Amino acid sequence: MIDSVLFIALPYLAIFICIFGSIYRIRKMPMTYSALSSQFLESKSLVWGSVPWHIGIITIVLAHLFALICPGLWQMLMAYKNVLLITEALGLAMGICCLVGLIVLGIRRISSQRIQAVTSRMDLLVLFLLTAQVIFGIGTAVLHRWGAAWATGTAVPYIWSLFTLQPDLSYISDLPHMVKAHIVSAWLLILLVPFSRLIHMFAVPLHYLTRPPQNVLWNNPRHYEAEAAAEEILDTDARREFIKGGVGIAAGTLLLGAGAMDKIFAFFFGPRLTAKEETELMEEKLCRLQATTDQRKLELERQSSKYILVSAMSELSPTEGKYLIDYQMTPAMAFKGEDGLPIVLSAKCTHLGCTVGNTVNKEGKILCPCHVSYFDIKTGEPNADAPAKAPLPILGWALIDKAGKLIASRSSKGEISGDTSSESIKDCDLFIVKTDEVKV
Amino acid sequence: MWRAKSTKESISAGFLLAVLLLLSGSAAECYPEYQAFIEKRSGKTVDCAVCHVNANGPVGRESGQIGSLSQKQLAQLNAARAAIEPEMLKEDNPILNRLGNSIIRTIGKKKFLEHRQDPEKLAELLGNKSDLDNDGIPDSQEYLDGTDALNSSHGEPFKLFLVNLNRYKYHLALAALAVFILDWGFAHLIQGFYLQSKMGKAGNHE
Amino acid sequence: MKAGQSVFATVSNFLSERFPVEHMNFQHMVEKKDVPVHNMSWGYYTGGLTLFFLMVQVVTGLFLLFYYQPTVSDAHLSVEFINKHVAGGALIRNMHTWSASCMIFFAMLHLLTSFAMKAFEKPRELTWIFGVLLLFLTFTFGFTGYLLPWNQIAVNATKVGLQSVEAVGEYLPGALSQLPHILRETFQGEASVGQSTLGRFYALHVVLLPLALLGLISLHLLSVQLHGMSRGVDQPTKKSERFFPFFIFKDLSLWSIVFLLLLILAWCIPFDSFLPYPLLAPYNALGSTPAGIKPEWYFYFLYYPLEMLPFWLILLATGLAVLVLIFTPWIFKGTSRKTLGLITVLASLYLVVMTVFGEQIYHMVKP
Repeated sequence: MIDSVLFIALPYLAIFICIFGSIYRIRKMPMTYSALSSQFLESKSLVWGSVPWHIGIITIVLAHLFALICPGLWQMLMAYKNVLLITEALGLAMGICCLVGLIVLGIRRISSQRIQAVTSRMDLLVLFLLTAQVIFGIGTAVLHRWGAAWATGTAVPYIWSLFTLQPDLSYISDLPHMVKAHIVSAWLLILLVPFSRLIHMFAVPLHYLTRPPQNVLWNNPRHYEAEAAAEEILDTDARREFIKGGVGIAAGTLLLGAGAMDKIFAFFFGPRLTAKEETELMEEKLCRLQATTDQRKLELERQSSKYILVSAMSELSPTEGKYLIDYQMTPAMAFKGEDGLPIVLSAKCTHLGCTVGNTVNKEGKILCPCHVSYFDIKTGEPNADAPAKAPLPILGWALIDKAGKLIASRSSKGEISGDTSSESIKDCDLFIVKTDEVKV
Repeated sequence: MWRAKSTKESISAGFLLAVLLLLSGSAAECYPEYQAFIEKRSGKTVDCAVCHVNANGPVGRESGQIGSLSQKQLAQLNAARAAIEPEMLKEDNPILNRLGNSIIRTIGKKKFLEHRQDPEKLAELLGNKSDLDNDGIPDSQEYLDGTDALNSSHGEPFKLFLVNLNRYKYHLALAALAVFILDWGFAHLIQGFYLQSKMGKAGNHE
Repeated sequence: MKAGQSVFATVSNFLSERFPVEHMNFQHMVEKKDVPVHNMSWGYYTGGLTLFFLMVQVVTGLFLLFYYQPTVSDAHLSVEFINKHVAGGALIRNMHTWSASCMIFFAMLHLLTSFAMKAFEKPRELTWIFGVLLLFLTFTFGFTGYLLPWNQIAVNATKVGLQSVEAVGEYLPGALSQLPHILRETFQGEASVGQSTLGRFYALHVVLLPLALLGLISLHLLSVQLHGMSRGVDQPTKKSERFFPFFIFKDLSLWSIVFLLLLILAWCIPFDSFLPYPLLAPYNALGSTPAGIKPEWYFYFLYYPLEMLPFWLILLATGLAVLVLIFTPWIFKGTSRKTLGLITVLASLYLVVMTVFGEQIYHMVKP
């Protein structure tokens, strides 16, 4: 019963009175529908109260209206977690803004003698109701979170049911008391619109934004000096520009922030990988570390040993070079020559240091892919018109049999010593040598 | 020109390898016709990593090559090799990457072998459905373009541009809006400072 | 003593003319500055755009620093990690690469337009020289940054670049011939491009070069603001507009548009897409160099001639070009803007042709 009175009778009454009362007042008493500004009586604390209050309440009312008028679009937006978070946070911030403004305005009404003189009982009632309304709103936001999402399923259809003259209380009957109080005091405020200064909301000075700047002058001779007048124009203009600038930068930053802030945060927060991704990453990391370890081992080996194993003689091919790392830690490769002896030559192109390819073409040459130099594998000489001018250095080697006995060797200058018969080297291993002192 | 040469060489190398492998009795797994086709059609160099795990092909001891496989993986490899029709394939081939396996699963090994002399047909057979890296360009198209079908940030630049433009159009529109509002704000702020500085001068005159 | 004093006086006069202390105030440097309006006015925006891209580089670079690891085993993987896993990482990295290219492009354009407009006239000689040094610095940024992802093309292109430095030694006399070799070893840090090189390039790219850039760019901008915009044409129109606030408006609006274009590019076209993917694989020290190793597009104008012509010729030409660039304010002191414009058109033509058609020309010359 009490619910029917509060949520059906009261709303219709409030809307009816608000519409017809306001029309009556605007028609019959046009000079009174203003904010009844008391700025000229006291302006300092007015700024600190009025500005936050209006910024907050306008934002919040617009958001409420948006959700009410386009619930579908609103719901779609709220489905994004980030949008919902931002909306809630913004709503709460604006609510607190309102409350701060109201408190300042309230203190001002009570403390200033001059203001007291122009304050009616209605003003105090409105101030009290607004404060209560804002507190209920903040309470809802804090205690019953995600209102921006759940309101489209409760309050919005309830209000639509009122508009379509099929009032349906089931939408809101189970809502918490805080929310119900918020709704009731909203209807009360709407009811009071025609009787109070709230009516000034129908006189929003939108034309301020578009009208050309006006020059307001005191009608007093001492102010007629031209420069002072110019100064005043500049002053208002500069202020206007600063406000536009502030609004633009704030709105742009807000929009950019809404889109980018979470990503920037997530960037620094770092990715949270799934177990599978983590495993794959670890494996890959280990693999790369292994490659580095191998490289370091090679370096150490070249630092400390006189011979380094390349491969078994039987594994060498005449057409496909086997890559190895020489004593300078640069690539080299080994072939089996026509005479059955190994050929070991540097694979670092003498032109600009690329690694030469290991496939021998029909002319017995290998190609450096960077700038197309062909090198003869027997001599290391580049072809005549190649960008590389110097031959690839031919390296010294040693052949050692399974027992560890040195069978044959070649110095870097090309002297071959030892037993080079194919029978005796067949089972040998090929080594590169650190110095030419190694001789049979 | 020299690119073509190196291609030819890699073909001959691949051929040689295939011959060697055939001689040694195991089935050859490297099909250089496809690689040669991609390079010729797209003008880009590609390596065995189009389909294989290892960029140097299936033979060798590096990871993803036959020499590095465990006993279990070898069994898997043999089972995969024996599966001629797609429905016979149970587990993935361990030396092929996701694209390689996806090709075999879609068209089957038999058809794949049949089309070695007509590599262009492979794209048709694959169809436009599969997009393994989810970059908006189907695998078959990436195959023809010679781009990495398993890397979402690799593709034919213009195609990627169109796909991504469509994907991010709302983001971009919102970003544009935000930037223009910011620009508007800054412009007015500067104008404000300008007027203020003029005002200071007007004041100095007095 | 007297001679010394007069030298000192000359130097101090020269400097005080270039950096007039009495002009170093807001009023002179901002409020009173005018920007001439004529049909070459667009040239005044090129410097600002370069500065804008530099700012993008600094911001995105700082972001990348959080994840990049400059070691041979981790560098490539960390870049891949940024691309694949980090929120917005791919976008940031693409912005960094795209903006790097844009910055170099606009720095070159800025140099060309300033040359054509004879912006190096007295008292702006030092501004010009700082600008030329800044351009070289920007190229060094490009070269050092290119190595950091540690993929095949990065390391191999760096190898080629460093080896070219050493090749200069052949043409130097006596003990000097060792200098390029020593230089290369210093930058390389070890026998071939490896961990030491990566560490050095990283230090250069993220600390030393930015510091040097900061110093030079402050001097450059200070002198630009001190002397105002050069008049740019032989017969100046009477028209001009206020730098503050009108030119700044336009600059800002242009920056917003350019930022959006950069965003579209970075979002929609991953920079890596322009390379064949075998070149993007992690560098393999033991394998052969893959085919298709080339430097970034902004080195083509130097790279393709280097491929086609004898090295000594390129060396001579480059040395001459550098000298001419540095001494431009004195060499072209009396040259009319018409002639300067002609030279600029020819130079631009060369740059564009070599950059766009370099590869085709190369294949024509060396089939």
